[in-house]
Amino acid sequence: MSDKRLTFKKRLHIIKHHYRGKKMAPAFNALHTFLFTPDETTHSGSHVRAADDLKRTMNTVIMALIPVLLFSMFNAGYQYYAAIDAANGTVRELSVLGNFLTWDNFWIGIIKVLPLVIVSYGVGLLVEFIFAVIKGHEVEEGYLVTGMLVPLIVPIDTPLWMLAVAVIFGVIIGKEVFGGTGMNILNPALTIRAFLFFAYPTWMSGDKVWVHNAVDLAGTPDAISGETILGSLAQGDVYSYSISDMFFGFIPGSVGETSTFLILLGGLFLIFSKIASWRIMLSAVIGSLVMGLIFNGVVDQGWIGDTSKFYGLMSFPFWEHLIVGGLAFGIVYMATDPVTGAQTNRGKWFYGFFIGFMSVMIRVFNPAYPEGVFLAILLMNVFAPTIDHYVIRGNIKRRLKRLKNATILPKDSEGEEKELQVETA
Amino acid sequence: MLEHVELFFRSIFIDNMIFATFLGMCSYLAVSKKVTTAVGLGAAVIFVLAVTVPLNWLLDQYLLRDGALTWLGPEYADYNLSFLSFILFIATIATMVQLVEIVVEKFSPALYNSLGIFLPLIAVNCAILGGSLFMQSRDIQSLGLAFNYGLSSGIGWFLAILAIAAIREKIRYSNVPPPLRGLGITFIITGLMGIGFQSFGGMLTGGDDAAPAEGTTAGVPTNNEDATAETKVFLTRDDDPISKENAAKLGTTASEPANLSENAKQETEITKDLFNKEKEVSYHEAINK
Repeated sequence: MSDKRLTFKKRLHIIKHHYRGKKMAPAFNALHTFLFTPDETTHSGSHVRAADDLKRTMNTVIMALIPVLLFSMFNAGYQYYAAIDAANGTVRELSVLGNFLTWDNFWIGIIKVLPLVIVSYGVGLLVEFIFAVIKGHEVEEGYLVTGMLVPLIVPIDTPLWMLAVAVIFGVIIGKEVFGGTGMNILNPALTIRAFLFFAYPTWMSGDKVWVHNAVDLAGTPDAISGETILGSLAQGDVYSYSISDMFFGFIPGSVGETSTFLILLGGLFLIFSKIASWRIMLSAVIGSLVMGLIFNGVVDQGWIGDTSKFYGLMSFPFWEHLIVGGLAFGIVYMATDPVTGAQTNRGKWFYGFFIGFMSVMIRVFNPAYPEGVFLAILLMNVFAPTIDHYVIRGNIKRRLKRLKNATILPKDSEGEEKELQVETA
Repeated sequence: MLEHVELFFRSIFIDNMIFATFLGMCSYLAVSKKVTTAVGLGAAVIFVLAVTVPLNWLLDQYLLRDGALTWLGPEYADYNLSFLSFILFIATIATMVQLVEIVVEKFSPALYNSLGIFLPLIAVNCAILGGSLFMQSRDIQSLGLAFNYGLSSGIGWFLAILAIAAIREKIRYSNVPPPLRGLGITFIITGLMGIGFQSFGGMLTGGDDAAPAEGTTAGVPTNNEDATAETKVFLTRDDDPISKENAAKLGTTASEPANLSENAKQETEITKDLFNKEKEVSYHEAINK
């Protein structure tokens, strides 16, 4: 066995050397470094070799996403059978081992969720490889996380060609035109989601798309409902899910966004491994709670009647906003994107706070988008450089002041100070 | 008070000059290389909008609109000078811009130099004239509201140029493909920012008492009704499937009187016919040759 692997590695190695300096080299290099540790050493200069390189960072996020993915595969089937039961007039009682972790459920997940993952990775990596070959740089690992996030934030019945088109758009316009990984301004996964949402709204919103097969069965005698909790609230309907259902994720929704519990575990893992910023997560949670509290206060004060369109979502308990819909998923995996988020520590607080704030606000005020988290994050991605700019400007100003007030300054510092001021003006 | 607040947020975010109506793009694209310059221009636009919109509101109210001259005497009640709107509005704007230029040159020569030609060009910035024309077509009711509208539209424009300037400073170190460097990537960024600003599209229209301000069907009794109809159709996004579906879902009418959209439809049909005829003519000409 080990012989075979060695020969495979060796063969790759030979191919790599054969193609060195040619056009296709990046493609083979990527394959080689993905499967094995490269055998090359640096030739010149001094280098710091850090363990947490880009590939490991990406893999850590993927590790945090695996439980969510597995859960979503079971949940896909569970929601499907539960909706059929509900259409037949019986209520499906949840028992985790009895009717949740079953092969039937998992099979629905395999035939519905796995193709999404494969198409997302296949198409996205193909685009990445093509761009690497054309531009002559190494294939970057940036798409590894995006490719995993994309299938988790779309409705389960998204047609695969649609996903492929969106992925091509998102990777090219959202990332490659800026020069590839680390230079984009909007989160590519969310760009893909936004493209799908605005290009094919009927497939991305409404009360049918969230449960497998509900679209096809609509209008037939076997019609099943696929309404999410937020959708029900926006229309003033009642829903029949308990708090624990919402928290553990036995509810309809986008593929991977439902289980707040597993997302929380993933988030803790990311914080523990120092991949994601706890500042952004914490401030986003605070922001959403504040906005939720404001809305609850409005309802308590009686400023808005229960005939209002906003009543259903406004009276929703403020902390439950965190456990329904995609807010938790967005905060943990999307908002913390180190490329598109705010880079400064102080900026991260503002950035996160406004994400939470805007998410809940869009949820309540914008009946067209009961799920506003992705738009809120995109909006704050747009403003993240502005926030950073002013945080940095503020730091410079403070330090200049400190410089001015310092008593141990050498006498000729005034000239320097002027230079600095000219530089910062 | 509530209408002031609503108009304020509506014009900053929902009807943002850049991302909803794509007005004032030229200076937005050209002067957004550095944040400080962008802030200067943005402040100038805020000032000019906040001054010209109320001034033009007064002009519109007491000089231009149908029956506006009644204050001179009852015999002037039939006059309708609204065909002079464009020329008078732009004259006001040009005067104000000249004033701003003098002030900026006096008090901030550095900013004056960095803004360069774009400061006098504010006079022909479509966002400024657009502000006044929207004010007219949306039938804004009071001087205070007109001031509010001008100020908040300016702030919306300011936010947009501020954000893109910061982004452009950030991507200065990005490895953008050479053909896209400069304006190309800026256009793409603007489009992506527009997606971000989509989060506000359709907001506030689903409320019980929050009747959309632009849905005032009375309209301005001007002689160019078609033009107003067209702008209104454009503003309410009649063909937006989301808002339509949403309106149907919520049981509210899409704040769009049927006759207006029909008007627009007719107009498009007419233009289509004209276009076809033109095509035919050129086709015949080609055959004859």
